[in-house]
Order: sequence, then structure tokens, then C-alpha cells
Amino acid sequence: MSIWSDIAQRVCGLVGREPDANLGDELRFHLDMEARQLEASGLSHDAATAEARRRFGGVDRYTEELRDERGGRMLEHLRIDARYALRLARRFPAFTAIVVLTLGISIGANTAIFSVVNAVLLRPLPFPRGDDLVVLYAQNPDKSLPRFSVSYADYLDWRKETHSFTDIAAFAPASLTFTQNDDAQRLSGLSVTTNYFDVLQVRPHLGRLFRDGDPPTETENEIVLTYGFWQRQLAGDPSVIGRPIKIGSSGRTVIGILPAAFDANSGGLDAVTVLVPASIPSVESHAQHLLSVIGRLRPGTTLASAQADLLGVATRVAAANPGIAGWTANVFSLRDELVRTLANPLYVLLAAAGLVLLIGCINVANLLFTRSAIRDREVALRQALGASRRRLVSQLMVESAELAIAGAVLGLLIAKLTLRAILAVAPTGLLPTTIDLDLRVMAFAAGLIVFTTLIVGLWPALSATRPRLTGPLHDGGRASTGGLRTLRARRTLVVAETSLALVLLICAGLVIQSLSHMLRVDPGFRPERVVTMRLSLTGARYNDTTQIQFFRDLQTRLAARAGIEAVAAANTPPISAGGITTAIRLIGVPPRAGEQLMGAATAVTPGYFRALAIPVVQGRDVDWNDPDPKLLVSQAAARQYWPGQSPIGKRIAFGTRDTLGLEVVGVVADSRSRGITTDAPAMIYMAYAGATRVARTMTLVVRGRGDVSAVLATTKAVVREIDPTLALYNVRTVDDIIQQSIGQPRLNTMLLSFFAFVAVALAIIGIYGVVSYSVAQRTQEIGVRMALGAGQRDVMSLILREGGALAMIGVVVGVGGALVATRFIQSWLFGIERMDAATILVTAAGLIVVAVAASYLPARRASRVDPLVAMRAD
Amino acid sequence: MHPNADVLQGTLDLLILKSVASDPMHGWGISQRIQQISSGVLEVNQGSLYPALHRLVKRGWLQATWGTSENNRRARFYRLTAVGKKQLVDETATWRRFSAAVEAILTTP
Repeated sequence: MSIWSDIAQRVCGLVGREPDANLGDELRFHLDMEARQLEASGLSHDAATAEARRRFGGVDRYTEELRDERGGRMLEHLRIDARYALRLARRFPAFTAIVVLTLGISIGANTAIFSVVNAVLLRPLPFPRGDDLVVLYAQNPDKSLPRFSVSYADYLDWRKETHSFTDIAAFAPASLTFTQNDDAQRLSGLSVTTNYFDVLQVRPHLGRLFRDGDPPTETENEIVLTYGFWQRQLAGDPSVIGRPIKIGSSGRTVIGILPAAFDANSGGLDAVTVLVPASIPSVESHAQHLLSVIGRLRPGTTLASAQADLLGVATRVAAANPGIAGWTANVFSLRDELVRTLANPLYVLLAAAGLVLLIGCINVANLLFTRSAIRDREVALRQALGASRRRLVSQLMVESAELAIAGAVLGLLIAKLTLRAILAVAPTGLLPTTIDLDLRVMAFAAGLIVFTTLIVGLWPALSATRPRLTGPLHDGGRASTGGLRTLRARRTLVVAETSLALVLLICAGLVIQSLSHMLRVDPGFRPERVVTMRLSLTGARYNDTTQIQFFRDLQTRLAARAGIEAVAAANTPPISAGGITTAIRLIGVPPRAGEQLMGAATAVTPGYFRALAIPVVQGRDVDWNDPDPKLLVSQAAARQYWPGQSPIGKRIAFGTRDTLGLEVVGVVADSRSRGITTDAPAMIYMAYAGATRVARTMTLVVRGRGDVSAVLATTKAVVREIDPTLALYNVRTVDDIIQQSIGQPRLNTMLLSFFAFVAVALAIIGIYGVVSYSVAQRTQEIGVRMALGAGQRDVMSLILREGGALAMIGVVVGVGGALVATRFIQSWLFGIERMDAATILVTAAGLIVVAVAASYLPARRASRVDPLVAMRAD
Repeated sequence: MHPNADVLQGTLDLLILKSVASDPMHGWGISQRIQQISSGVLEVNQGSLYPALHRLVKRGWLQATWGTSENNRRARFYRLTAVGKKQLVDETATWRRFSAAVEAILTTP
């Protein structure tokens, strides 16, 4: 017989009637023949039939035996067990509901987090052989800057001298103005070296892309659009290829459209142009760190050998250029870089969800223990009637599997909802916009089902079917030693889940406090009612004089409008990377040998500090009427550059050739311009007049009196009055920027707290369950105690102590676990120690109190035991 | 030996294989053949016969097909496969050795 017909027969044996009918036919034929023979020997027809049947015995018995012989037995048992389990589930609806809900929440949480892990960490880059793509950084170990922008001069040297890469390409963000039907708008652009798409190996959706060696005379008038922008703004019109669109003050020919897959990893990019080195200020300087660099490893080259190669080259370059002493280079995998900030939180959250699942499983196992105690007699009876242990265990396992599958179905639903909530709460740009429950996620969920079934079912099943001589049948249904053994197992489980819950609770406590510290931190300026927006003064119309005139004009006109309190501009937003890092020299302070001092600088217009309410603590603000551009420094910069001296009157030079420098006229209070959770950096603020060439794109800072939209409308109107071709973009309130900057910690905290909440709730249910069970077991003992004079109060405290003791042991174990676990959330913490004693004490005490409270109901039940009834029971 | 004794454990397979060696047969036929040839000494219990038939089919020694019986009834016919033939030869040899050995022991005074 072939394997297929064999399987078919087994399956038919399970579900179908057909082979049974055949089986019946065969046996019926046999009966008929027997009867016919008997009839021939002289019996009447009826008597012959009856005798034939008698000789044959019951047809059913043979069918059964035959089916065993055909191997359908296991499947048949499975079918019976499954049906029985369903009946059982219906008979105990509350039990079933609790179990399915517990497993549903646990499996749902895990599946949701895993979906995010799957979409973010496990998805391959949308480029051919994406694992060969790397990011190259300048690094300065002395200043602990492992990832720093690269100068164009470095890029050229690296490209020429390294041999580990098929090629490397440089790029920088570019802001472009796109004009369509007289409506100007800002595009988020990238300017790239011509080999950029060769390195990524991107194929165009339409047209062509820039290629290595394209002559600059052509590429400077060409542009490549992203698929999203092409769809949004140009209605996906294919005839746009080869046609010019208006970018800035002139036209650029659209040569190609990027594939849609490119958009997913490029965060709202609209268009790509070619980098024009001539437009980079002091492009020949190795200290002008402005570019990002990606590369593709040569086949067979490891990251480590590429790192060694690059390091050698960078060290030689640094040695040849004294201005960049101390600077070397670093190379990382692009994939790892893209998810660097997400990997740790995601794995921590996945682990937290895993703990919740473990606790959920423990709880369900606990419930199954309770039920197996109830079903003790059923199991014992079946054992007595000859059921094998294997058969009984497999029956109990089928029941667990059924519960796990129901839990998983509910879990997938919960996962879908959780995912939607996560995506709604997640700050924009942090996660992909859509995350699906794909095949890998389904496989993960299936794995969880198997895992939970085994964890949840096996122990209770083995313990319930332990062979015994005197079982529950014998001692009249009162579990004695067996019950005690079960109780010990259940206490262990409850201690385990309490400790796991405490680990999560301590972690959640720490991150919640961190978040509240972040929310309360003083940024050094007043963010309320401040709107920021970007604008670019480019094109033939703007030069040093007209740029300054524009901002003076804007300030005068806006100040006259109702609802505007203050307005100013800076070339970096109040919370961002914290200025542009550039090479500086302190005039009159000899630099240490071979060291190039770097400083973070931003250009500001007069009134910037007033608009943000940053106090000028010494000296004065810059002024439009200063004869030459003046500087202010932050207190941190003053301390760092001229410790113990007044910075007023000191001079700072920018770049390597300036020897005169600019004069410091004031000191302002520190502000957290690198982000709310980063200490205030040392900042140099340069009067806008000194930076008009480099600071063509500025951030307007407008403090209003009314609501944001009114402020925005007024500002827009005034800007249009001055120059109708200017577009305002990236409009955001400073409050929004701050909220956005802590969006990820907020999401992490919410999820972790949710997991901790579920864990504690489950642990409490577990404690309640096991204490109730123990009260039920000890009813007789309690009766005896009361008969001997114990009061209600004594009995209550006896039971409460039991719950408290369980929680106490769990707490001790849990604090030990937290010592290890909190190490993984170290980077999440802000303004709080990893082993914060108060947090540990409060959470531990809280857990014990709640555990004792959970024991209250069973304790009260115990205290109301009537000694007479209790002792006579059973 | 008591008449109508049940077939000895382990020999039923051999008897079945031998019965269907020449012609395909149905279950009833096999039980009749065994009974007739052994002059009624061996009676095959139906409760053992059919499980054994299915077991042999599963092992690949017999092949089962539905056909029509001599009185035009639908019946399941069993035929010996090539593997079954080899098995029959082996088991026959084993049985002969076994019974000869038993016989030798019994006839020793």
C-alpha cells in the first residue's frame, strides 16, 4: 500500500464514514455467508441470521479492533479528546474565559511586539545585497565622537586610497524650493555624489538615475524624484521624464523616478540632486565635517578588515593634515545603523512581553492544577479502568492545546489592536507606517502555541496522572498527600510569577520616573507659545545685504502686528543637533599641540534670546547696528574655553585661516539645544551678519500671544508681503518638538508599564488562586484549630500570612532578578539610578500589600468556617 | 487436540497467506478454506481474521480489491503480492523446522 493511500485511510478513519461503510460491507458479507450456510444446514432464515450474529459477536467491536489495526487509533483518540475538551470548556465557562483571556493577552502582546521587531529589525534592506552596505563616519575617540560627519576632502582621500569597498558615495541633506502654478513649497532633498545610486544599486522606476562619471555640466541641471513625490505632486505622470520642473529660481530636468521601495527607508524624501562641491564652504578643508558617507563592501570583505583598511587610510590622512589631528574613521553596517536606536528598546520590550507570557502560562498551569484537583477522581477512575498514563497525559495535553489555540486566536486580534495603538502613539518616522502580521509573525504565533501548550499542560498533566496505589477513589475524594504535593508545586509557581512580575514592575517604575523627569526638565528656555518654521533665502535676489534686510524688515513688520510677542531667527532650531560643529580657535589661547578645537556654533539674529526667554547673564545681545559681527557664548562654553575668566572681549576665530576672530559681547544661560535629555552643550552664537553665506536656510522663532494657527497666519502674511516667492516649511511649536523628542521614551514607557500592569494583575490572580486552594485543603485543619479555641482573627492572620509569605519570597527573588534586568534598560533611564532604592522598596512593598489584600477574601472565608461542619465534612 | 481449536497464535498469518496463494479470496472464503482443509480442526475466529487481513495488507503482503463473489455479492478479495509470496516461503520453512523440532521432542521416548 502506498504511503498516500495509507494516509488517506487514516484520515478517513478519523473524519469520514466511507472506509467504515466498506468495513461494514465486508463484515456484513461474512455474516450473510455464515447465515446462508446455516440456512442450508436446515435452520430457518431468522434463526440462521441470529446464530450467525451470535457466532460473530458484536460488529462494533471488530470495527474498533480493525480501526486500531489500520493505525487510525491515535487520530481517533485525538478526535475524541478534542471533542471532550470542547465539552469540558463549555462546562466551565468562567475557567475557560480566564484561561483564554490570559493566554490571549500574553500571546497578543508578544505577537504585536514581534511584528514590530520583524518589520524593523528583521526586514532586509530594499537594496540588492543590502548586507554589504556600510556607513562610514569620521570619529574622534578623544572627544568620544564615534559617529561624525565627514569632510569632502576626507571623502575624496578615503575613496581613492581604501580598497575594501567597491565604491563609497557621499551625500548631504538639501533643501529645495519647488514652484508649481506659482505656489512655492519646500522639498526635502538629498544632494549626492554621482555614484550614489551605483553604490546602492538602485534601479529607476522610470527614466534613469545619476551614474558615476556623469559630467557636472549636465547633472547640475538634472533632478531625480522619489516615487512618493512623483505620485503626490505630479500625479504619477510618466511624461514628466525629460521635462524641466521649477526648482529654486531655475528649472531642472527630471531624469528619473526612484522605485517605491526606496521611499520606505528614506523618511519623506522628495528629490535627489547631485552634490556640487563648489557650493561647500571651504571644501578643501579636512575639518569641514558636513557629509554622510555610505559604501559597499567588496564581496568577501568583512566589516573588520574594512575597518582596519579605512582606519589606516584615515590615520595617514590625519597625519598629513595637522588640522585634523585625533580624527580617524569608523565603518558600521548600514542595516545596524538604521535600527541602532530601536534595537535595544525592541529587544527589551520583546523580553518583557516574553515575561508576561511566562507569567500567563504559570497562571494557567496553576488554574489547571486547580481543575486537575477537581478532576482527580475522574482521572483515578479512568486509570482504574485501565487507561494508560500516556493516553491520559495526551488527553490532558489536547485540552491545553485547545485552550492555547483559542488564546492564540484571541491573541492575534489583540495583537492587531495593540499594533494599531503602537503605530498611533509612535512618533512619526520612528517605525514603518504599516506593519503587517505576515507569515513570519504567524509562524512565531504558532511557536507560542506549542510553547504555551507544553508549559501550561505538561506539568499538571504529569502530576495528575502520577501512578498511585491509594488514590482519590480510596480516600473518599479528599486529597491528602497528593493535594499537599500539588499545593507545594503551586506555591512554587506563584513565587515564580510574583518575582517575574516584580522585575517588570521595578523596570516600569524606573522608566516611568525617567519619563516624568524628562517632562519636568528645564530646557533653559520657555517653549510655550513659540512656533518655529524654516525658510530659505536663495536665488539671485539674496546676498549678504538683502538677507539681513529681509530679517530686519520681518522683525519690524511682525512686531507691529497684534498677537506677536517676539520674533527672531537662527540657523538651527532651538532643539536639534545643537548647532553646527566647526573648527575654531581661541585668539590668545595657544592650542595644545596637534589639537584642533571644535565648537558648536549657530547664527542668530538679534532678539533670539528674548524670543526664547533665555537670559543674557553677562554683557549684551548682538545688535543689527554692530559694526562687525559679534558673538555670544553659553555659560558652558565660557567655562570650557576661558575657565575662571570673563569671556567678554575675548575673540574666537572660525576656520583655519582667520587670525583676527570675532569678539564675544555676551554670555547667555545654558539651554538644552541638543535635546531635552542631553546636557546643555557649549554653544557659540554668532550674529547673523557673520554667517549670511552659510546660513541661507534659517529657522524663524515666533512667540505669539494667541493660538498657533493665528501666529502662523500672521507670519505667513508678513513673509508674503516681503517676498511672495518664499515658502515656510517645517512649521512646529517648540512644545511639539520637545514632545516628539521624547516620543520614543514615552512609547517604551507605555508599553513596559502595560506589561508590568498585566504581570502584576496575573500574579495577584495567582496568589488569590493558590491561597483559596490552600484554604479549601485546610478546611478540616482550620475547623480543628477553631474547635481548640483559635479565634476568627487568628485564622485570618494565618491565611493572610500565607499570602504575604508567598509574596515575600517572590519579592526577594524578584529584586535579585531586577539587579540583572535593569542593566538592559540602563540607556532608558534619565535622572534616576538603575538600582534606585526608593523604587525597589515602594514596588516591593506595594506588591506585598496587594498580595496580602488578594488573600483577604480566602482568609475571610476561612475565618467563617463552622468547626462542626468542617470536621464532619468528607 | 480439542476440535475447533482456535488457530495457534502466530500461525494465522501463515494460514492466510497459504490460503490465498493460488487464487484471490475473500475473508469468508479464507475462513472456510482453513476450516475445510484442516477437516474442521482449525476454526478461524472472525475477530482475529479481519484484523489479521488488514494487518497483512498494511505490511504489503496482501493486496485487497473489491470484486464480485460467486453469488454475485460485492466482496473484498485478497491476493498475495510478490513480497507476500516470499514471506509465505520463509514462514513455511520456519514452521516446518519448528514443527519438526516439536515432533522430534514428542517422539523421543
